[in-house]
Parts: sequence; C-alpha cells; structure tokens
Amino acid sequence: MAKYVLRRLVGAIPLVLGIATIIFFLINLAPGSPIDLIVGPGVTREFREQMIRNFGLDQPLHIQYVKWLGAMFTGDFGYSFSQTRPVRDVLLGFLPNTVTLSLAALFVAFLFGVVLGTVQAVRQYSALDSGLSVALLFFYSMPSFWLALMLVLVMSLMLGWFPVSGTVSTDYEFLSFTGRVVDRVRHLALPTLSLALVLTAGIARYMRGSMLEVVRQDYVRTAHAKGLPERVVVFKHALRNALIPIVTLVGLYLPFLFSGTVFIETIFAWPGMGRAIVGAIFQRDYPLVMAGSFFFATMVVLANLVADILYAVVDPRIRYE
Amino acid sequence: MRSLSRTAAARAVFAITASAVLSACGGDGGTRARPVPNVAFCQDVLPRVDAWVAQAREANPTPDDPRFGGTAVVGTIGEMADGMNAAVSSDYSATQHQQFVNLMTLVDYDVDANPRPYLAESWEVAEDNTSVTFHIRQDVYWHDGEQTDAHDVAFTYRVVTNPETAFPNAAFWNHYVQGDEGVEVLDDFTVRVLMEPHAEFLDPFRTVAILPEHLLGDVPPAELKQHPFGTQCPVGNGPFVFWSHSPQERWVFEANPAFPEALGGRPFLDRYVYRIIPEQTTLLAELLTQNIDVYISPAPDQAQRIVDDPEVELLRYPFRNYVLVGWNARRPQLSDARVRRAITMGTDRESIVQAILQGYGTVANGSVPPFHWAYDSDAPGLGYDPDGARALLEEAGWVDRDGDGIRENASGEPLSISIKYNTGNQQRQDIAEIMQAQLSEVGIEVTPQVVEWATLLQQINTPEVRDFDGVVMGWVVEFKLDDTDLFHSERIDEPFAWSGTRNADMDRLLVQLGRTVDREEARALWAEYQEVLIEEQPYTFFYFPERLDGVSTRLMGVQMDARGEWLNVKDWYLDPASR
Repeated sequence: MAKYVLRRLVGAIPLVLGIATIIFFLINLAPGSPIDLIVGPGVTREFREQMIRNFGLDQPLHIQYVKWLGAMFTGDFGYSFSQTRPVRDVLLGFLPNTVTLSLAALFVAFLFGVVLGTVQAVRQYSALDSGLSVALLFFYSMPSFWLALMLVLVMSLMLGWFPVSGTVSTDYEFLSFTGRVVDRVRHLALPTLSLALVLTAGIARYMRGSMLEVVRQDYVRTAHAKGLPERVVVFKHALRNALIPIVTLVGLYLPFLFSGTVFIETIFAWPGMGRAIVGAIFQRDYPLVMAGSFFFATMVVLANLVADILYAVVDPRIRYE
Repeated sequence: MRSLSRTAAARAVFAITASAVLSACGGDGGTRARPVPNVAFCQDVLPRVDAWVAQAREANPTPDDPRFGGTAVVGTIGEMADGMNAAVSSDYSATQHQQFVNLMTLVDYDVDANPRPYLAESWEVAEDNTSVTFHIRQDVYWHDGEQTDAHDVAFTYRVVTNPETAFPNAAFWNHYVQGDEGVEVLDDFTVRVLMEPHAEFLDPFRTVAILPEHLLGDVPPAELKQHPFGTQCPVGNGPFVFWSHSPQERWVFEANPAFPEALGGRPFLDRYVYRIIPEQTTLLAELLTQNIDVYISPAPDQAQRIVDDPEVELLRYPFRNYVLVGWNARRPQLSDARVRRAITMGTDRESIVQAILQGYGTVANGSVPPFHWAYDSDAPGLGYDPDGARALLEEAGWVDRDGDGIRENASGEPLSISIKYNTGNQQRQDIAEIMQAQLSEVGIEVTPQVVEWATLLQQINTPEVRDFDGVVMGWVVEFKLDDTDLFHSERIDEPFAWSGTRNADMDRLLVQLGRTVDREEARALWAEYQEVLIEEQPYTFFYFPERLDGVSTRLMGVQMDARGEWLNVKDWYLDPASR
C-alpha cells in the first residue's frame, strides 16, 4: 500500500508541474497587466516603468518562469501584487476558512445523501421515494448561488435564525469560548447548506441506484431468506457494498468544493480561496494566480489518491500491490 | 458494517468541530488579545501601540456623555487594497481611511471645499505663490507614542515625489518641486514646500496622508508597496488606532483616547469596523437586519428598499464621478467632430438616466461634476435632437446611399461603430444597448461589445493598440480638476488620451486652468472650456450619478458629501437608546 501511494505521489509531480507551467504562460500571455489596473491619469512613462520594475515584470518571460519555478521549489511563492503580502501568507490565511466550509459541506452532503438514497432504494416506488426524488431534483437543478440567496432571504431576513454573512460576529472577540464556537457554527450554517443541498441531491441519486443494484444480489436475498431483519440486511449487508461507487464521489467533490465555491464565498462574504484566486485573475495578480492554481492542481491529485485509498478501505477485495 | 459508517461519521464530525474549535482558539476565551501578524515589524511595533493606547486611556478618561461607546460597522463591497500606506495607494476607501480614520492630512476641506487646518494648524503661501509653509500641530502623536512633526511631513513629501516609490497619483506633484530640493524643514514643527504657481495647490495635502518617518524612513522607496505597514500593522496618528485586519473580511479600529481636544478629541465610538461583503444583495440584507450600520453605495435599484424601511435611511448627494462614452477620433468614422456631436444628439441621455439610475443622477455635459465649485448647472449642452443629428450627419457627408438604413460616406463605407464595455457592469451594458437602439434611428449602426476589465484597459490605454471605436467608462475626479491627460494634444500618445483629438483652444484653456490660482478667475475659464468640449465632443458625457448610502437610524451624527463617506467618522455615535 505504502509503495502504491508513493508511486502515485511521484507520478503526480510532472502532472502538477505541467499544469503550473501552462497556467504560468496562460496568465502571463492574457491581455492586460496589473499595472493598467493601478495607474491613473498623470502617470508618466517613467513611473509606469518603475512600477513594472517594482513588480519584477521587466524581465523576459522565460527568465520570470525560471525564477518562479526555482523560488517555488524553496517554498517561496513570491509576493501578491493585489494583497501586498507574501503569497504564502495570503493562501495560508484563507485556507482554514476554505477547509472548514468544504469539510462541513462534504460531511453534510454525504450524510444526507447516503441516508436519503438508502431510504429511497429500500422503499422503491413508494410515495416517499417519489416525493424525495422530486424534492432532490428540485435542489439539484437549482444554481447554488440562487439557493444561497433564498436561504438568506428566508432563514436570515425573514426568520432571523442565522446571520446573513461573514465568518464571525462583530463582537466575536468579546465572547466566551463556547460563545465563539457557537458563533462560528451559526455563521457556517447557511454557506454549508447552500453548498451541501445541491451535492446531496446528486449523492442521493447515486446512492439510490447503487443500493438498488446491491439489494438484487444473491447474498442479500440469502440474508433475507435466512430471516434476518430488514434493518440488519440493509445496514450490515447491503450498505457497505453500495458505498463503494459513492466513495469515488469524494475524490470528485473535494477539489470542486475547494475551488468551486466562489459564488457562495461571495454571497456569504466568506474569505476563502476561491474568491482570492478569482479576484487575483481579474487583477492580473500573477504570483497569486500561479500559487493558487498550483495548490488546486495538487488538491485534485491528492483527492483522487484519497478516493483510491478509500476504495481499499471500503472494499477489502481491492488491493494495491 | 455499521461500525464503519459510524466511525467514519464520527471522524468527520470530529474534524469539523476541531477546525471550528481551533479557529475559535484565536484568543484566550473572553478577553481580547490582539492578533499580531507573524512579521518582525508588526511584532516590534504593535506591543508599543498597545502600551501607548493603555497609557493614553488612563491619562484621558472617557468623558461622561452617553454618546461615547459602542461599535459601528460599515459594510462595503471591496477591500482597501494598499491599506493605510498613503505612499502607494490609489483606492478610494483606503484613501478615505488614511484621511479621516487612521492617519491625518495636513489640511482638510470645509463643506465648500475651502482648505482648513488639520494636522497643519496654519500655513502661509508666499507672495508670488512659489512656496507654502506649514506649521504642524504640536499635540499629535503616532499611535506608538512618537510625536508627529515636520520631519514626518518632509519624509512623506520626499517619498511620494520620488519616482522609485511609483506613487500612483503622480500628477499631484506636476507643479511642485519634486524630491529633496522641494522640501525644507525650518524647525521641528515648520516645513516649507516649493512649487510654481498653480491651481488648487493645497489639494494634494488634503488627499495624501502624512506617514511616520521613524517607522518607514529606512525602507527603500521601491519596497514600500510591500511593507507590512500598509495592510498588516499600520501605525497612524489619526482619531482611530488600528486594531486588526483579516484580509477580504474586515478591518477593526479603536478610538484614539489622546486625539487632540482642539480637533474634537476622542471619537465617540469605541470601535469602528470596516467589513468587506462582495455581494450587494448580501450588503442590503445585512443593513436591513441591522448587522451593519452603513452600506456604502447601494445600487440605484436597491434604493427604494432602503427608503421604505423605517430603521434605515438613504443619504444621497452629488459625487465626484461621471460616466462617459469615449470616442476614438483616430478612427475614420469618428474623426469628424460633427459625427461625434450627432451621436450625442441622437442619444436620449435624460431618459437613460431615469431608466438606469432610477433618477439618482443628472445628465452630464462636461467634466465638471455637480459637487464642484466650478460646476454650472446652466452650462450649455447638446440636448436630444434626432433631427439635428441627421442634419449634421448629412452635412458631414454620411448619407444612406444603398437604402439599408445605415449611412455611408462617399466611398461607400458604412457608419458602423462598436462600443465596448466591461464584463459584469450592468449599467454600462445598458448604455451600450440603448445607444444601439437609439442611434439606429439616425442611421448609425452600433455594435455593443463586452470585454473583461483588465483586457479592456489594455486595449484602450496602450497607445500602440487603441483597439476600440467607443468605450463606456467612468472617471472619479479629485477636487482639483485637471483634464490635461485626457484632452491636451501633447499627451496624445499617453495612455489616457482615448479620443486623441487636437484642438488648439482646448490646449490653451487646459494650460491656463492649470495655472489659475484664483477660483473666480478660473470659473470664467471653465465656462469657456465647456463650450470647447461641446464643440469637440471627445466623449459623449453621460451622467453624474448621485452617491447613495444606506445608514441605520441608530447611527447618529453622520455627515457625508463629496468629500467622502468617512469625513466625520470621529463624530459618529450610536443612539444611546439602541445600546
């Protein structure tokens, strides 16, 4: 197993490097420059050139590339133009927010998805099954930013149950320890729900299908035949096997959650990675864009690896040797 | 199998609570510990700030007045990019916080834009207008305890006029003697700057805040932009002390207990918070649920919601920006001023202002916005006149020769232009599309074209490129107006000469306006300049939007106008009954 993981990790290096290289040239060749976004009228050419030098953009592209690559190997991702801090600090600052939100959404989505999908499969063609299908399809076809706005409208504006946006309250520093945890969880609720509800629908559909396939297997019929109660058959014999294909989804959704939450982060004023990177692209903040995409590429590779390892955990028949 | 799903679930629950708890551990429960960025400069300077504030608090007990206390929150769409670093920032909110919140400027403006003392308690202008001597207040301290003096002023002046700093508003110093020769410290609290006579010469000293020499004096100018002073641990001397900054989330400031009595003393608020909320719908929801006290610049279509809610009120006032369509007169279709005038006359700007701004704005006929002393509401302009437009086009030789509804010139080229605007800007898109519809009535074919912002700037600002016919843009101006970079023919190959028109009268007036110190004299010149703008039409000036702000009724004493939203933040207070 360890050998397999190692081999996969080594194999990922050229992949991540390739992605980083493509991104480097793409963003540098994109029209527009960070300088245009800063200077106003009255700026002479000398000033512009000084600014270009201050940003280190006066060197030829291939030199910049070699420098950037070299620096990256030493863990130095350079200096963010738009946030006036080292890129590493920028990313490390936003990472905890993104991780918290992604993990919370993933957990909620899988919990609901697996439970609802199982219920639907077990009660196939019942009114409950159809009702859930309609409800899930409703959430599935909903753009998550719209869902987010509706949640704000209902849960915050009308009912006042949850705060509208932000990660903490204004008086956070004055709260007790428990108060702080509660405050954080309350702020986490709506963004998590907006992300999770859409995912839940997909996971539940997969789960339902997978479960239906499993309950037709001989060993499930055998379990029924030897008189085991329904609960035991479903949870002990069927569920684990039905979960195998679902595990793949973790690998698919995790990188999506890390990078694809821009709308949610924007609506809930959640200072996360997605917003940082998209903002950086618009501002031509080359160092931040490159470090960010490097990070996301690494995340995708790692998430896929995690999914493959989870296979082995869920299904003892799968061995990586 | 049951055990598996249960442990997996348990692990996930653990991971989530752990991360919530970990992030909650930022301070020791209940007491307030200032987050200190992991940077040597900050770790050195912030404890000194804390010590000074504690001592200042003891020495200046809060007066017994119910207006003192509480936290006010301002919500806005964007981050303050370069923070409190006055030497490198051009961002509006950042400049406002440098002027009114964390730092101080030498002078500020009264309601009529007349300079009045602030950090400089007085000043003298040389008889021949070639120098200004500032006398600095002797009771202002940096928040780490050092006194603010003339050396700080001289240092700031040297830094912002040093080309290596790349100060973004370099035009401020066009008529000043730049660098070391331009500034002279006469004694610890007296400093003189040298200049040639020019209009509104005090305006830069209203905008550019003074920086601390004892903290930044050793930083090479080219590295100033990256210095942690800007966004991680600014040390100001203004009415509010920096407390913390979480990027893209919020800035927190605290009252400066030792702010000079003569300038109003300690602000009423204990804490002032600047929150970044990138979505306007969310901002509105936060205002309506009383989680923020001020919503900076709501969209015109949100204004009615604010007006209708009894707990918030809408402030509206003329502001410093205008929206325009710039014409590239280098293009053969647009090189004739008659065509540019016909385009303006063929566009019903009045109804567009009503539609797009819900009436919160006025039609613009020139570059002097309504807030300005030189603005003349009766200034002539080109009204909506499709027949006049058609006549002008005929006169210029553009006639529909093939009956397709689009005019052609003698050689058969159609009068067809594209208008570019930037992605995600609904108002500018509306302008381009309405112009398309209205101008087809007079025989001009308009194609709206959307371009991503940075790409658009490159296309219009690069002198060798200028890949556009028309472009919808906006300008934000300072109190000192100067269109030289936009319209003077000598600047035709500089980035902002979008139209590239040449007009000798315009050149002469721009130079004269730049040199005229007396406002009354200047007023006559501005009127003359207005006539030339109408004739030349380098832009179709579109509208001056009113600035809107949503303010909670529990926040009192708020005054806002073209000088900015934060101009009297130190006088804001929370209704004692609401706390």
